[in-house]
Amino acid sequence: MELNILIAGVGGQGNLFASSILAEYVLKKGYKVFAVETIGAAQRGGSVVSHLRISDAEIYSPLILAGKVDILMGFETIEMLRNFELLAGDGIYLLNDYKEPTVLCNMEMDAYPSDEEIRAALKKSGKKGYIIKATECARKIGGSLLTNVVMVGALCQVSSPFDSQEVKQVLAGKSPARAKEQNLQAFDAGGSLIQEAMRKA
Amino acid sequence: MAEQEYLMGNEAMGRGAIEAGVKVVAGYPGTPASEVLEYVSKYPDVHAEWCINEKVALEICMGASLCNVRSMAVMKHNGTNVALDFMMHLNYTGVRGGLVLISGDDPAGISSQNEEDSRIITRLDAHLPVFDPWCPQEAKDMVKAAFDLSEEMELCFVVRPVARVCHGRSMVSLEEIKKGGESHFEDDRSRFIMSALMEVKDGAALNRPVVRHRWLNQKQAVLAKVMEESPFNHIEDGEGKIGLVACGIGYAFVKEAEKILGKKFPVLKLGTLPLPRNKVLQFAKKMDRLVVYEDSEAVVEGILKQLFYDEGLKVEVVGRSGFLPSEGELSATIAVKSLVELYPELEKKMPATVPLEMKVPIRTRTQCVGCQYRGLLHALKLTARKYKGVVTGDIGCYDAGSFPPLELQSTIYCMGSSIPMASGIAHSGYDRPVFAIIGDSTFFHNGVLGLLNAIHSGVDLVAIVCDNRTTAMTGFQPHPGSEINVRGEPAPAIDVARLATAAGATSARVVNPYDIPQCKEALEKAVKEKGVSVIVATMPCYLVARRTGELGFTPRKVVLDEERCNGCKICVTFFGCPAIHFSEGKATIDYGTCVECGMCVEVCKRGAITWS
Repeated sequence: MELNILIAGVGGQGNLFASSILAEYVLKKGYKVFAVETIGAAQRGGSVVSHLRISDAEIYSPLILAGKVDILMGFETIEMLRNFELLAGDGIYLLNDYKEPTVLCNMEMDAYPSDEEIRAALKKSGKKGYIIKATECARKIGGSLLTNVVMVGALCQVSSPFDSQEVKQVLAGKSPARAKEQNLQAFDAGGSLIQEAMRKA
Repeated sequence: MAEQEYLMGNEAMGRGAIEAGVKVVAGYPGTPASEVLEYVSKYPDVHAEWCINEKVALEICMGASLCNVRSMAVMKHNGTNVALDFMMHLNYTGVRGGLVLISGDDPAGISSQNEEDSRIITRLDAHLPVFDPWCPQEAKDMVKAAFDLSEEMELCFVVRPVARVCHGRSMVSLEEIKKGGESHFEDDRSRFIMSALMEVKDGAALNRPVVRHRWLNQKQAVLAKVMEESPFNHIEDGEGKIGLVACGIGYAFVKEAEKILGKKFPVLKLGTLPLPRNKVLQFAKKMDRLVVYEDSEAVVEGILKQLFYDEGLKVEVVGRSGFLPSEGELSATIAVKSLVELYPELEKKMPATVPLEMKVPIRTRTQCVGCQYRGLLHALKLTARKYKGVVTGDIGCYDAGSFPPLELQSTIYCMGSSIPMASGIAHSGYDRPVFAIIGDSTFFHNGVLGLLNAIHSGVDLVAIVCDNRTTAMTGFQPHPGSEINVRGEPAPAIDVARLATAAGATSARVVNPYDIPQCKEALEKAVKEKGVSVIVATMPCYLVARRTGELGFTPRKVVLDEERCNGCKICVTFFGCPAIHFSEGKATIDYGTCVECGMCVEVCKRGAITWS
């Protein structure tokens, strides 16, 4: 068994927390994990990419090979599109319908792709995936910072070996007391969102 | 089974040092290596210190080593350049207590101004032994081994992890923590006085540097033997006559490529410099060609060519001098592609990738929403434009002012170069005002020397110090201007304005960077002065302040009056706050990201943005 998850977002979206919840869960299940983040300048509104590799055999490269990403989680729209080529033939994407315009887009020196363009390109790729409004949902619960937890909640419905109830326990254990209740709420909301998306699909 | 913990490479190296009984750890923050020192600072028996710069850090470590205790210096590759001067003497004197230098490299320059390979200065220049780990566990093992060997060999050992090892996270075995030694000092002027001094050695009069250089050269033979036995190098048998030489992180990528391609290649795994000569020859003699996978320069490749030339061995050696890309970082994808080139029949095993048929906009870095420097940079841009001045830049968050939309700073090189470069521009006879903008941590690191030099040289310039009380770019580490140390304990803070005044700056004005009119006024006054005028823009970093409640502004909702907005775009194309969007000819406030700093109220000349 090998599962490669790539999380693409922008600085401040909490890639690392999402990755660490998933890592802690699979480590408890006895799998090997090798993960890596691009960190540093990312804090200043740049792109952040987290690679999470899970396997029952030895893992050597911390970076996922191009064409070997099983699950591409996009916390931000163009950050997911930027990494789309890495997705495996049978890989699935999980996109948060949230757009953080770039500086150049704001200046109208660049154009942020429209929903129509994005949906057309995704359709043409032939890849399977789901689009959910995780940030919108997070804001309703308590703030956009909960986006990562909503996305983790959604992931657990579409991929083994994640068991929602068990991952939720890990999340509870890793949450600071003041954030615990909202985190758990966001996690469940993510599960509901994806189930709805799956019903529509 | 030994106890294990899920650690990042930097934490694993910190743990390795703790297990080895390290007592003094000194460094300067820099991605990718910062977390090593942060990790050890959690152990109260260790003296952990963020220093003013890397040279000072290495000197502190050597002081501890003289007293027979174990010490470790932590820095990124650019910092190793700063420490090089001291390193080029420490290599001649050798050490007493184990001394390990961690030099984190950043191939591809993901968080750096260059993608230098610090094996070149530490090994080829300073002739120190270097370990190059492939994963967090090996990085920890190497740090531990380096401490023992350093003491045994009386040499500083270098561990050179690349960013992917520093930031990689995996399970790491924990072992027993060794108790550190007690400090005791004994003089040995024959070693620790590095100066031009004649002495009689082996019956001949020799200058001290020659004597110690000979000592270092003689150590190499002993080192070679140690590396021959090292667990960090090994040979793996495989099919074919093309041998893969997998150095450091290159091993991770070669092994991954084997998995993908379903073929076992002959592999020579290398983790040490000097190389295990006999092991290398034993492997190479069976091969027609060697491909060297290493980040990021052709260091081992060059050493192998030299060795084979000396041995008269006819084996082709290729790698990053041309067969593999000569720039950027190595990856498993590159390893797979290179092997498919050598074994075309494996092409069907290569994972297929399908490019998305659309153009994805690039994302450039900018100041955070709420960053006080956006106000200061705005005021500086207005002033610099008015006087057609030049602004030189430096390393830190405020460097984003050089990218669109601000495009303010004209230069960025290395830590502290802004003020000397501004001086040079002024001394060249340039007849417009010259401004240098530098961060607080960078100012202390090296910038202060440029300031003192500028004052003494009699140049006219304006130096702006962005003082946010922390090293924000690398994750909020304290510096000599901070009121706390790495453990958060109170520490004496050095006041930049008082320091500049004492040094003889014409003026040293302290401004609030959120207050654009105040910044403009200070700049207007400074630009008309002779000599070096210093402006210190003081306010805690917004990202810290929002947690501690020390905000430099009173948050209040701003509103945009669509009627008044004439679509001039100054707020997005000149000021550039990411919380202001522009669509259909009008600006809009994105309340999801706006933090209510209100600087845009001052920026909008139409009065379209107002406090609610």
